[in-house]
Amino acid sequence: MFLIGAIFVAGGFESACARDILVIGTPLEPPNLDPASGAAAAVDTVVYGNIFEGLTQITQTGEVAPLLAESWDASPDRMSYIFHLRHGVHFHDGTSFDAEDVKFTIDRILAPDSTNAQKALYQPIKSVEVLDPYTVQISLSRPASELPYVLGWGDAVMVAPESVATAATQPVGTGPYKFMNWRRGDSLTLSANDDYWGAAPHIRTVEFKFIGDAAAAYSALKAGDVDAFPNYPAPENVADFERDPRFKVVVGASEGKVILAINNRKAPLNNVLVRRAISHAIDREAVIDGAMFGFGEPIGSHFTRSTPGFEDLTGKYPHDQARARALLTQAGYKEGLSLTLRAPPRPYARRAAEIIAAELGQVGVHVTVENLEWAQWLDQVFTRHDFDLTIVEHVEPMDFGIYARDDYYFGYANAAYKKLYSEYQVAIANDERSALLRRMQETLADDAVNAFLYQSARITILRNDLNGLWADMPVPATILANAYFTTDAASPARQGKSSSGGAWVGWLLLAVGAAILAYAARRLGAASLGARFGAHAATLVAASIVIFTMVQVVPGDPAAYMMGLNANPEAVAALREQLGLNGPLLSRYADWTLGLIRGDFGTSYTYEVPVGQLVAERLNVSGPLALMAMAFSIIIGIPVGVIAASRRGGAIDTALNALMQIGVALPNFWIAMLLIMVFSIQLQWFSAGGFSGWGNGALPALRDLFLPALALAAPQAAILARVMRSALLDTMNEDYVRTARAKGLTRDQAMWRHALRNAMIPVLTIIGLQFPFLLAGGIIIENVFSLPGLGRLVFQAIIQRDLIVVQSVVFLLVLAVILAAFLIDIAYVGVDPRLRSARR
Amino acid sequence: MKGAVDKAPFDDVAGDISPHERKIPVSTGFIIGFALTAGALLAALISFVWTPYDVESIDIGQKLLAPSWAHPFGTDHFGRDVLSMIMVGARNSLAVALIAVLIGAGIGAPLGLLAAARRGVVSEIVMRSNDVVFAFPSLLMAIMITAVFGPGAINAIIAIGIFNIPVFARVARGAALGVWEKEYILAARTAGKTQFEISFQHVLPNLFGLLVIQAAIQFALAVVAEAGLSYMGLGAQPPMPSWGRMLSEAQTMIGFAPWLAIFPGLAIMLVVFGFGLLGDGLRDYLDPRIRQER
Repeated sequence: MFLIGAIFVAGGFESACARDILVIGTPLEPPNLDPASGAAAAVDTVVYGNIFEGLTQITQTGEVAPLLAESWDASPDRMSYIFHLRHGVHFHDGTSFDAEDVKFTIDRILAPDSTNAQKALYQPIKSVEVLDPYTVQISLSRPASELPYVLGWGDAVMVAPESVATAATQPVGTGPYKFMNWRRGDSLTLSANDDYWGAAPHIRTVEFKFIGDAAAAYSALKAGDVDAFPNYPAPENVADFERDPRFKVVVGASEGKVILAINNRKAPLNNVLVRRAISHAIDREAVIDGAMFGFGEPIGSHFTRSTPGFEDLTGKYPHDQARARALLTQAGYKEGLSLTLRAPPRPYARRAAEIIAAELGQVGVHVTVENLEWAQWLDQVFTRHDFDLTIVEHVEPMDFGIYARDDYYFGYANAAYKKLYSEYQVAIANDERSALLRRMQETLADDAVNAFLYQSARITILRNDLNGLWADMPVPATILANAYFTTDAASPARQGKSSSGGAWVGWLLLAVGAAILAYAARRLGAASLGARFGAHAATLVAASIVIFTMVQVVPGDPAAYMMGLNANPEAVAALREQLGLNGPLLSRYADWTLGLIRGDFGTSYTYEVPVGQLVAERLNVSGPLALMAMAFSIIIGIPVGVIAASRRGGAIDTALNALMQIGVALPNFWIAMLLIMVFSIQLQWFSAGGFSGWGNGALPALRDLFLPALALAAPQAAILARVMRSALLDTMNEDYVRTARAKGLTRDQAMWRHALRNAMIPVLTIIGLQFPFLLAGGIIIENVFSLPGLGRLVFQAIIQRDLIVVQSVVFLLVLAVILAAFLIDIAYVGVDPRLRSARR
Repeated sequence: MKGAVDKAPFDDVAGDISPHERKIPVSTGFIIGFALTAGALLAALISFVWTPYDVESIDIGQKLLAPSWAHPFGTDHFGRDVLSMIMVGARNSLAVALIAVLIGAGIGAPLGLLAAARRGVVSEIVMRSNDVVFAFPSLLMAIMITAVFGPGAINAIIAIGIFNIPVFARVARGAALGVWEKEYILAARTAGKTQFEISFQHVLPNLFGLLVIQAAIQFALAVVAEAGLSYMGLGAQPPMPSWGRMLSEAQTMIGFAPWLAIFPGLAIMLVVFGFGLLGDGLRDYLDPRIRQER
């Protein structure tokens, strides 16, 4: 109770400080931070233009501008480029940036074992030559007028040979911000680079908070946990934020094209009539309205409005159900047909899928929607082309080259288009290029390759006093250099610091364990203890085999997941080799278990840090959360159970019984939603999600865990109360209690003096087992409140196919359960001497 | 979400009310429980022939209407009627929970009987593998299983069913061990019946009441587990409505359309509550017979 009071009080003490901390919400956590290797848009969102810079940059309007190269000269035939580098540029580690770094970076992209996802874009580069420290010449194998443009992409930012080895975890670039630290699953912090060659950034510290869930994004903004959320995933909340004077909403353009991709390889979808019928059956406006709440512009081809030569082709396939049916009849599908739509896990895709399935149903195309995770989607749809329809956003700008690739997932093969594309690639004059682009988009629309839905809007929600963030998103990025606050008011967004667990905890646990074992051995005899220990150990070994087997059969390739959308197969194969995914099963099991015994849990594929470290970070959240939930459930459950038992049969008992029944029936995530609705959104007493870390003292951290712990505890408290009540009633019927009553004690006296102590045995069992289960069981609650705990670590790892993390963490959780069972076993013997001999 | 903690309190199914303090066999709780479960079942059955609106048709123009006479529970972001979705969702919740519990009882109870009949190695193997399953955090494993086999109602059933097997095995074994001590079992053995025949002809009928009570409790837990899986997007897939998914979709709209979160949550709560009461009521009703026979 004292604790609860203290937590409430803590809310009042947020110190006022200058606004030099910016907290940015972002939907996807990057798997690592090296933008030029296993690239995903999530990496660029954090590092592009902030930590790393390219020779050129892509400006807010989508144009190419100088950056680390001050200028460049192209040869008239566009077969060679000379770049003049900026002087006085230094990497964050103090080494200077020069022509050798440029050569190193580009050679790294093109190396045979390179895992750069956009390698194909840079293939025309034949060689890079250092002319002098500030001049490089890039020679090409074919004319490529797009070279300065593609060098501005996040995949070609400049790295140095001195520091590239650690780019995945400790990136060192030339940008206005330096990497500070990364709390995996929660946030990543950058700080201003004092030696930046350009104008110094206004804001000292920037924290990216990873919030994947649309609901958590909403509550984090409302609760003031983040200052800005670019790429805000829940358009339904825009109106709400517009009404709220604390926020402003910026809707910008992006290069994202959301399409209903059609498998052109597969009958009946290889029939252009069927594809046209599908295009006619879809009401784009309904999709934009229903899935995006109106945010998005319809498109008629794979081209955005900002692309040179853009032509509005949305009129080509107006929403016309009769026409769609007629085309289907003409194609020979008068009776309709059945298709599957495999949707990736983003809100836009899931919603659009439901709407499109309903719309196609109205013209006789029966669509079954299958929702996949990213890894499954990449495996089934993107890699193996096993799909009929899918919905996905293509975020890369000017990526119409994918329609000239035979191996691409939707399998469009049209020689005429390929010819246009290769003409475009070598064309130099702007008129000619625009003309070719027009013909290309007309061809795509004419063939109805995919059903082109809309160009997505980029919704940014930000605090009223925050300025200078980009509204439009020509490339995946969050450019921070120009961001500034107009007020000096205290930031409600709290900065988290990394907390480090001490090794003494491990030693302490070891000592406690040894003491318990010694005690048990004395009471039980070594043989009996050994037998029990053996039984539990056998369970553990069996469980490890089950876990390992399960993880092996999980479909989806971790390497493919990490590489992202445009990855080429060679790069994926190279990464598989690097991750050691190709060894024989038995030796991998042996490696894993031997590692476990040594305390080495392996290295996470996605985060590239030891699993032990990840687990330790997450235990800092899950451990206290489970303990707090346990404390709540004891504080509530035990008294309720005792009172109910002592008033057995009366009105209070009946009422409490009903309460317990309801408590057991409450799904904890529903309680969590109701708690957020009342205490975070309405009353704003607690933050609605996120975890500020232990670095700012215990009280803010405990405050963040309060609502989650309460939601977790509610059903557990009800269970505990029921057990307490029935255990107490049972012991009240024992002979010794009857004796005590016959002796003249009242019912209540007998209960308090004799029954209560003995009734605690089953209650303690429940409490003991609660802890390990709360540790893992918070998985949904951790998701609701976006807490970086163990449950969410495993869930994310399953989704990202970070298999080593999955198997090691699940193993640790099983170990915790078995350990608890073992301790309870021993505790029983300690409490109840009757059990000392031969208990089964 | 809860795991073994759920199981333990109910292992002791006979402990709640002592015989001499027992009151009426059919309690108010039982009647309320019966009414709630019957109501849910009825809603699910009616939904096969009639719902106020078609749950698969999307009408964006009708989206996010607050509760009214036309739509007592309001409409969702696609303009679908929430009441109709809850009715059809009941089908999904009840079916998944029922089949999962049947799997658990159908495999678990015979395993428990076997372990009781053949002590020694067989019993040891059965109970040890039970321990292995018990050692896994159940919701986490259910999530992993659906990740392996893909999301969907059938895989949700498998995932929930697996964790019901050891529960029934444990309950059946514990009670069967007691029955094996009885004189009439000795009589059956002297009559030359095999262990198999005795287990199913004599032991099983004696455990029936106990298993029914356990089933009601497991059913309630299975409904919560299904909702949890659906909430994570791993249960029944759209356009099939499911209560858990309705809740997760409601979450971003809680500020302006609270009805989307309130009604599906209430539906889950009432069904679980109903089955909990039903289980307790059945225990009161069936227990005396079990006790007397011991």
